[in-house]
Amino acid sequence: MKRLTALVLCLLMTFSLFGCNVQTKTDVKGEGSDVELESIPLTLLGQSANEKDLNVIRDLLTQQGFDVTINMQPDRGSYMSQIDAGNYDITFTGWASISGNGDYATRGIFHSEGDSNLGHNIHDDRLDELIEEAATLTYEESIPLYAEIEKILIDEAYIAPLYVGTKVEAYNKEVVDGETVGIYAARAEPFELFDFVDESKRDTDTLYLWQIENYYTTADPIKSNENSTYMTNYNMYTRLVNFNDQMEITTNSALSRDYAVAEGNQEFYFILRDDIYFAMVDSNKQAVDSGVLVGGEDVVFSLDRAKDKDSVPNHATYSLHENIDTVEIVTDLSELENTMESATGSTILEALSDALDTPVSELVASKDEVDNASGKYQVVKITAKSAFPQMLNFLGHHSASILCKEQVEKINTYDVATYDPATDIAYGDPATVTEGPDYDNQIYASGPYILVYKNDYELVMQKNPNYMVGTEYEPKIKTISIKMIPDADSALNALRSGEVHMLNSLDVEKWSVVEGDEKLALKTQPGIAEKHLIFNTSENSVCSDLNVRKAIQNAMDQNAFIAVYENSVFPVTSPIGTIMDTGYSFTPDPSLVQGYLIEYFNSKQES
Amino acid sequence: MVQKMNLSADHVNVKGTGRAAETTNQYIKRTQARKLKHSQEYTSSRFAFGASLAIGVVILLFSIDFAEKSISPVAAVVAAVFLVESAFELLISLLLRSAVLQDREISRSLRLSGLLSAVMVLNGNIFAFIAGFTCMQKEKTLEYTLSIYMTLTTVCIVLVSALNLFKEYVADTFLLGMYLLAGLIVFDLLAMFLISKWVKRRTTDKKMLPLAICLILSAVTGNVFALLIGIISISKLCHKDKEISIEWIDIINRLFRNNMSIMGMFVVVFLISLSLCSYLTFDYSIAVENNYTAMLIAPCLEYPFGTDNFGRCVFTRIVFGARISLVIGMLATAAPLIFGGLLGAVAGYYSGKIENIIMRILDVLYAVPSILLAIAIVAAFGANTTNLILALSVSSIPVYARTVRATVMGLSNAEFVEAARACGARDWVIIIKHIIPNSLAPIIVRATMGIGTAVLSTSSMSYLGLGVEPHIPEWGNILKIGSSYLETNPYLAIFPGLAIMLIVLAFNFFGDGLRDATDPKLK
Repeated sequence: MKRLTALVLCLLMTFSLFGCNVQTKTDVKGEGSDVELESIPLTLLGQSANEKDLNVIRDLLTQQGFDVTINMQPDRGSYMSQIDAGNYDITFTGWASISGNGDYATRGIFHSEGDSNLGHNIHDDRLDELIEEAATLTYEESIPLYAEIEKILIDEAYIAPLYVGTKVEAYNKEVVDGETVGIYAARAEPFELFDFVDESKRDTDTLYLWQIENYYTTADPIKSNENSTYMTNYNMYTRLVNFNDQMEITTNSALSRDYAVAEGNQEFYFILRDDIYFAMVDSNKQAVDSGVLVGGEDVVFSLDRAKDKDSVPNHATYSLHENIDTVEIVTDLSELENTMESATGSTILEALSDALDTPVSELVASKDEVDNASGKYQVVKITAKSAFPQMLNFLGHHSASILCKEQVEKINTYDVATYDPATDIAYGDPATVTEGPDYDNQIYASGPYILVYKNDYELVMQKNPNYMVGTEYEPKIKTISIKMIPDADSALNALRSGEVHMLNSLDVEKWSVVEGDEKLALKTQPGIAEKHLIFNTSENSVCSDLNVRKAIQNAMDQNAFIAVYENSVFPVTSPIGTIMDTGYSFTPDPSLVQGYLIEYFNSKQES
Repeated sequence: MVQKMNLSADHVNVKGTGRAAETTNQYIKRTQARKLKHSQEYTSSRFAFGASLAIGVVILLFSIDFAEKSISPVAAVVAAVFLVESAFELLISLLLRSAVLQDREISRSLRLSGLLSAVMVLNGNIFAFIAGFTCMQKEKTLEYTLSIYMTLTTVCIVLVSALNLFKEYVADTFLLGMYLLAGLIVFDLLAMFLISKWVKRRTTDKKMLPLAICLILSAVTGNVFALLIGIISISKLCHKDKEISIEWIDIINRLFRNNMSIMGMFVVVFLISLSLCSYLTFDYSIAVENNYTAMLIAPCLEYPFGTDNFGRCVFTRIVFGARISLVIGMLATAAPLIFGGLLGAVAGYYSGKIENIIMRILDVLYAVPSILLAIAIVAAFGANTTNLILALSVSSIPVYARTVRATVMGLSNAEFVEAARACGARDWVIIIKHIIPNSLAPIIVRATMGIGTAVLSTSSMSYLGLGVEPHIPEWGNILKIGSSYLETNPYLAIFPGLAIMLIVLAFNFFGDGLRDATDPKLK
């Protein structure tokens, strides 16, 4: 008994000793703020894919005394229905300015009439005016206007900026030549650049890529603006211009040899090359040269149908091209000689001739007469409805792809108004390229690769045998297969096992896995995937009050996101910030939050 | 006849002296084994030896980094401590073995060595603690055994809570809680001592009454063992006839013969107690508030199970997760138990149309896979705790209804029911007063195991994102985060996984033991 008591006493003494040194929560964190504010209930809406972000937002708001409820929806459909029902105060969303221009970064989401203006919460006449005006100006002229747009977005707290993510490419460096792997934020990777480490395997081995969507909707580029066709359609058709890895407009691997913008920023001239032929698939499922040149007639046909809402059923991209008024082939050389280029002092002809080996001797109307080596060129002129210098960015989008006029007209014989998907077969119908009894591949591809067939697991593409032959853009690898693996973790495992050779997206927590694998390599670059919060500004939400919005906006400490994403994300002010430096910047300051909240409660008491 | 047999035996002996010796050897071995098996002192110290050795070896293996051929010093020291302890237990068990085999009294010094074993609980060796106190007392009554586990529970709570001392700060009520718990340890040890004095096999001293009341009061910490001792003592004191044993105390007695089920019960009681005591000794904000300066830290003293990708302490999250898992598990078992039990009782008592209607409807419910039904309910009504409990409950109603119905069908023809009916008792009186109490045993067993399943289902639902909100520290949620760091930070998945495994195993072992204990055939 005595020993027991001694032991107990010893224990007690030890505890007391600890007790003297222990710091309690109040010792460390203090008693909290002097003013006890009533906590404001907030509903935060998001999708379960963004659980990580929602948790950080909830945490940052809770720290400032908000009472946050998370409304997490499993998919975009149910998310949008919650937006329509107004069941939220703030919602996590984002915008990727994939065409690299200010208009795309603003019009859809911030214009009163914008088709992606969530819940149509942003209604600001000044903002509408600025977006309209900036669209008519050249890049340099538009910068101050976009700065002002950013300032309004922040000052009126229409958005709370969060961060912009990183674009990655993870690849097997034992198979793929790392030099040929670039990071393209504004377009799919150009397949024609890819090459194997061992060049002798170009014709025998297949390069395996990955996409997460395990379906394929259409080979008609204007009927789809989603991810399942993104890689395939970008590489299956050429365009007048292309984006490079810096998101600038170039003519690399494009149908134009050069382009010029006429004074007034309303007319655009493109001089076409004559070394791209349509590829087709023969009866042995092999890509062969169709012998048909990609020419001006195809450009006119393709862009006319791209801008015409009624050219096909389920047109998905016409709004990108609604500024195009006319597309025509120029045959009058004097027109080029007499029109001056915008911003420079030279004529259009001089501007277009810069990159030519043989000077222009004649402009021809038909592609049959084209022969660049003897100076016979085709020139296409696009006229916009009003001054719109950013037109070029939309021409780099895959919906402005060039299709074969004869082939599309041959297939699309149905009447658009009475189109019945059960009986009518449209150009690019996925059933015609799916292995099986309905297989009947009718695609004519103007790009470096052509989709030969698809099944449930992969999209198999072969190189276009007559695409810019002899140039650096001639495709190198004969067969490229895009594996459809609907789970990112399985895709990473496939990369590690050598089943897939390249991944174009990877969660930051997996980077160390790739970096730790000696046969894999990782390339990263700041991307364009910007994230922000949108407020419910309708009367029934507490966010209709500017002070509450400002409080939330300032509570979004961007360092928290940077920490959670292990330094793979960067601060941003608005979607515009991902494509241009406007000079305006905003950094949330959590120390201001309580001040805004006090103002809110004061104004509430007064009213 | 006898002579004949002797003759033949002699005959055999002449032929095979060796075989006879073998038989004798076997007989001696069997007797020895029986003797050893009946000595609780020996079996528990033997078990403590094995368990400490196993833990020591596992920690030693973990301490070695095979890739880099280095040893983590802290883990190696801990492993060494366990190995030394296992050597000590081996020594004790050998001494006990020789004492038992030679039918000697266990010497006083050997009994006192139990105190040394008991102290080993300070580094987490709970098996040595149990062996130590088992060794110290000659006559081990049920109350004494219960008091060992009661004290062990409190000591473990203190030890687990004491890990908070390494944190940057502790909860404001931490010191208060720790002093209270330390006081409780003193009280528990005192109670253990008094029980060993006052409680004998057949008699319980009247002085136990105030102690029993104090023990019942101390059960606010969730210490079910204390509650049991209190109730057992009081009912023994109130019980007039000492010769007739009390049925339910007998069941507990039989339960304590099974080591595994008692370990299961200990884990369950420990988790219940921890969930309650954590109100005082743990800080909830460490479990839910993100700490952007302490993300993905490997296990260390400040963060015993490391931190997750939001800088939250996984250890604290698991401690608070126990509360949610237990509450949801118990509610999701209690609700179908009541509804299913009632429906089953009615169906079993009234055969015919009523039975057909109830059971066929339940059959339809039974035909839908339970997790699928739960997912459908949560998907339709939204993911929150109430809906989750509802979803898990609905899908297990038929299970309980079937069990009760089967028992009730047997009971409704029993004599005592006929007698009650003959006396003119109304149906619902018969059901509630006679049938339900008599059919409780199988349903209690099923419910105990059901809690384990419910905890598992809760975690599965949270893992799928259909359970409680993601930031709430629920074990499935914690495991979900771990699943994306399996290769780089495996501890994020290992610890919540172990916690889920432990609680499910504990409930299964406990339920298994309970079934054996309540089974009249195994008396």
